Amino acid sequence: MIHSPLPQTDYMASGHVGCPGCGATVAMKFALRALGEKTMLVIPACCWAIIAGSHPQTSLKVPVLHTAFATAGAAASGLRAALDMRGDTETTVVAWAGDGGTFDIGFQALSGAVERNEDFIYVCYDNEAYMNTGVQRSSSTPFGTRTTTTPGTNWKHTRKKNIVEAFAAHRIPYAATASIAYPEDMIRKFQRARELKGGSRFLHVYATCPTGWRVPSDQCIKIARLAVKTRAFPLYEVTDGVRYTLNHDAEPPLPVRDYLSVQGRFKHLTDDDYGEIQAMVDEDWELLKRKVALAPEEARA
Amino acid sequence: MRISRSNVSTEINKTGSWRFVRPGYDEKTAPCSNACPVGQDIARIEMLMGQGMFPAAWETILRENPFPAVCGRVCFHPCERVCNRGEMDSAVGIHHLERFVGDLAIERAYALPHPFYGDEAETDRRATGGKTVAIGGAGPAGLAAAYFLARLGHTCDIYEADSEPGGVLRWGIPWYRLPEDVLKAEISRIVDMGVKIYCQKPITRDFMARAREQYDAVFLGCGYGRSLPLWIPGEEKVLNGLAYLHDIRGGDNTCTGGRAAVIGGGNTAIDVARSLTRLGVEPILVYRRRRQDMPAFDHEVEMALAEGVQLMPLVAPVRIDGGDGGMVLTLQRMRTTRMETAGGRCRVEPDGDRTETLMVDQVYSAIGAEPGENWLFPPEHQPGQLRMSHCILWEHPDARLPVVFGGDLTTPVKSVTDAVASGKQAAMALDTRFRHGGKAIPERLGACRVGDGTALSMEIYLSGRRKTRNPAIVPFSALNTDYFAPAERQAPPVLSPETRCGSFEEVEGAYGRDAAVQEASRCFNCGICNDCDNCRLFCPEVAIYIDGTRCINLDYCKGCGICVVECPRNAMTLEEEAS
Ligand SMILES: Cc1ncc(C[n+]2csc(CCOP(=O)(O)OP(=O)(O)O)c2C)c(N)n1
Ligand code: SF4
Ligand SMILES: [Mg+2]
Repeated sequence: MIHSPLPQTDYMASGHVGCPGCGATVAMKFALRALGEKTMLVIPACCWAIIAGSHPQTSLKVPVLHTAFATAGAAASGLRAALDMRGDTETTVVAWAGDGGTFDIGFQALSGAVERNEDFIYVCYDNEAYMNTGVQRSSSTPFGTRTTTTPGTNWKHTRKKNIVEAFAAHRIPYAATASIAYPEDMIRKFQRARELKGGSRFLHVYATCPTGWRVPSDQCIKIARLAVKTRAFPLYEVTDGVRYTLNHDAEPPLPVRDYLSVQGRFKHLTDDDYGEIQAMVDEDWELLKRKVALAPEEARA
Repeated sequence: MRISRSNVSTEINKTGSWRFVRPGYDEKTAPCSNACPVGQDIARIEMLMGQGMFPAAWETILRENPFPAVCGRVCFHPCERVCNRGEMDSAVGIHHLERFVGDLAIERAYALPHPFYGDEAETDRRATGGKTVAIGGAGPAGLAAAYFLARLGHTCDIYEADSEPGGVLRWGIPWYRLPEDVLKAEISRIVDMGVKIYCQKPITRDFMARAREQYDAVFLGCGYGRSLPLWIPGEEKVLNGLAYLHDIRGGDNTCTGGRAAVIGGGNTAIDVARSLTRLGVEPILVYRRRRQDMPAFDHEVEMALAEGVQLMPLVAPVRIDGGDGGMVLTLQRMRTTRMETAGGRCRVEPDGDRTETLMVDQVYSAIGAEPGENWLFPPEHQPGQLRMSHCILWEHPDARLPVVFGGDLTTPVKSVTDAVASGKQAAMALDTRFRHGGKAIPERLGACRVGDGTALSMEIYLSGRRKTRNPAIVPFSALNTDYFAPAERQAPPVLSPETRCGSFEEVEGAYGRDAAVQEASRCFNCGICNDCDNCRLFCPEVAIYIDGTRCINLDYCKGCGICVVECPRNAMTLEEEAS
């Protein structure tokens, strides 16, 4: 009845309070299918702090440590140390934070932790704004986006921070992007991250937010797929900060306009704006291709 | 240190109350099935083929059509014209696949399964209430009627005027399109079901008068055996195209040489011309309209031209002079008008008095045919008649039993597959008439329609799984094409035109096993679930589970619609909640 090669056990329960069509919940579902039961999560303030259940409820079948907004990197380091002291080397520690908690407020703690090469997986599920508090811009919010703090003509005029590059620059053992529209690829990356024990692993997961992006809930996966097909969100891996592998060539790419124009948060963009964004996407892609070309012999784990 | 712990599952929150639209599994009808005269469940057949489940695919065909190896070769495959895949790259090679599995079944001697439709009541039905039906004509219509009636538990005797069964399949279609052993194998399967075929025994008016003594009903599918006259001076010098094909298939294939004119633009004309090239004659097709108006299948016309058949369009014969030493065919030039026929072909009219002449050694006529005997025409507007899409049921006042007219006598399109469709319709109508009375026919058969067309499904008639299929047809726009990558259509081997001219060997080859699986995998399986599991995979609420089949837990489903959108093949639907 199921011909799928994917792991089939879900560690996420129904009844959570994520919005209909929430991409971040799809992300968690896939992540836990890949990681399995022996996982402990550290979740700072973000939508997922709520989706995981408000006390005394939980929507997850693995333990979760709720922690303060800025502290996921530090708390995960501590949890790892505690488990090690108890002789539990089997359990995977996974920090699970939003883009606000990763790109902005948690950046310092995380940078410190990965510089120490702490043994955990850090997942940033990226919905490109502070969604839980009502769609405020973060440094992950893309150029051109309207949020409640970049309204009207003051839409965001700076580029999205490239977080994978930031952590590649820390020379961590493994950093990768993943998308909920590509479950096989995403699950493989989570499995690979789990196996690469002993150091810091960073996963940047694209997670559509129908509420904050003003798109119909049923388009959640379609839009995530468009992000990859237009090269707005390339799928790639970096090992040891230098060896790059591209996982999806998106050849030929769709124009980035196809991705932007279906979202309410970009509705105000003009043809010129589209052109400007296309140039940025092209530039980023070329840069990425150059890095991939530098290390064609990337050995798969 | 103490930290508070949560250990109550969120499952106590019935988030289904948030929902205002409701997803549901809703298998729909593929455009190909809708276009298929016999309504084959093509999306499912190709799904099974793609999984290498050939016997199951074959059984699925046999529910609706007893002749996959024959129809895979001779059907004009209207299915492929409407294939959604055509909007992406090119239509799925449905007829090649049908032929592949039909041939495989012959080669491996697949047996008809019992129970046939997954319907346990079949055996009982066969044991009780079986009637006896006389069938006139062992062509595709009569054979199909016998096959389906036999499956429904009735006894059938077929009366055939010719020396062997098959009708047009045996005598009208040349070997290079339909080899004899293929036809024989598919007919013998019907004989093995207990159907008796009496050859050289045509149904006569006398027979009809006494039929009641032995039979409960009669099906007449005697076909169009008599060629239409040209009504021109010199007509007596014209050779009959159908008779010529008949002679060739009877074994008379002497090479005559020279040049021949073949009058007509239908499949028979093409078959005559192509047969002539194989016997060393140079044929010229004489047709009154343009090439694009020819009723012959385009593919056949192309093949004929490649084999060296010449085409003279926009000419109509007006007289034939001369004798043995050569004939002069006088042709009236025609010109197109702005008007069109009901079938969309352009109307033509004489182009002033411009004529021309054509010198040939023989003239063949293939402009159409009619029934061999007038009484075989169903009389019009008689009381007690039920006119259906492919046949007419008449409570015959003289014979005092139900008579069904089918095949070419009544089908809207004179094709082999339409003939099979009429046989199936007749079988369903008679079975209903026997079991529930004639009044029940329109409603019972109406419920068996595939999509919005005229095709009827025997699987639906027998309450098989297909009964729950939504008749709505899946448009290309309803598919999620993100899941389908372009892939080239597999081409079977074809004999070169040079090899073709010298022999009656079959022109088109068959797919190999790998090509068949690959081609079947190109099918989108429009409207049906192929267990891809996307719905369950992507559901953010973990609200889809498997309990024998996939189910949606409406206690939790928030109605986001992801499952419906991510279904590649439109096998789900989102509906507004009632309250
Ligand atoms: C120190 C601190 N400042 C502010 C907040 C309020 N707060 C809770 S969640 C959140 C937004 C989190 O954004 P992000 O990390 O992107 O996750 P998302 O909600 O988008 O999933 C904020 C600002 C807080 N909990 N703690
Ligand atoms: S994906 Fe899940 S929550 Fe969304 S409509 Fe389908 S069953 Fe309901
Ligand atoms: Mg966020």
